[in-house]
Amino acid sequence: MFSLTACLYLSAFLFSVGIYGVLARRNILVILMSLELMLNAVNLALVAFGRAHAVAGAAGEHRGQVFAIMVLAVAAAEAAIGLSLLLLIWRKWRTIDVRDLCRMNG
Amino acid sequence: MSPWLQHTSFAIIAAIAVLASILVVTRRNPIYSALFLIVLFGAMAMIFLLLEADFLGFMQLLVYAGAIMVLYLFVIMLINPREGDLPEEGGAVDRVVAGGTASLVFCLLWFAIHESALLHPELPAVPVVFPELASLGPEHGGAAAFGRELFHEHLLVFELASILILVGIVGAVHISLRTRRRVSAGNGLTPPAARAEEAAHV
Repeated sequence: MFSLTACLYLSAFLFSVGIYGVLARRNILVILMSLELMLNAVNLALVAFGRAHAVAGAAGEHRGQVFAIMVLAVAAAEAAIGLSLLLLIWRKWRTIDVRDLCRMNG
Repeated sequence: MSPWLQHTSFAIIAAIAVLASILVVTRRNPIYSALFLIVLFGAMAMIFLLLEADFLGFMQLLVYAGAIMVLYLFVIMLINPREGDLPEEGGAVDRVVAGGTASLVFCLLWFAIHESALLHPELPAVPVVFPELASLGPEHGGAAAFGRELFHEHLLVFELASILILVGIVGAVHISLRTRRRVSAGNGLTPPAARAEEAAHV
């Protein structure tokens, strides 16, 4: 049950749910949350691989976790930039619907 | 922790994560999505703890469930979308297309995971079961051991990540400051709703 393959299947499922959220939803907030979901799914795969291939005392014992921390930093920066863009859009156009943003006419 | 307990807790946590992720993308109100996302991040943190990544599990709770989700909830409160502001979600066609794409990706990933065991029979017992793997010692995954490796072997990556976060901070401040000036100057940008009203008047 608790194996590398199980973790990878869970990660693949969460990633696919994130893809569904990004494609199907029209609320920018939920699209950003689905992106976070996908980043988290990747984190799970990285940590599971890291645990499966870690050798005690060897160099690079925590390599998978270092990868995951980097993804976490990217997610934090992405959330900050994405949400400030969302606020900008809300102040200018009073909308959180991606369909209202399909024209690039300033 | 006994292997049986690890298997059971992993099954329960995985079920919670699957349920929470589906609820995140299907709830209409973004505040429910955000709250279920917090549940999902908590479940992921517990899986990280099961994978002996203690420090990362607590970072997950602090950074994701703490900082990032507070940012999301704060923005939702700031915007305070009413029922009319929430976008109409796409119809059945949109959902079918999105669901089809997502299932296609999942099938591809499932196939890749499933077949990888057959492609690499030389890998040690490919369906690796975690409780049966050799223990990595009590130090593994703790802040001390993790930090030692991060600052000794991955120092460049760490510095790059800090530059990335700095760029994120400066970018966010820049975007919000510029908005304030533009909005106060009033450079003639009209929202789509107002534009539609004008069109209706004409």
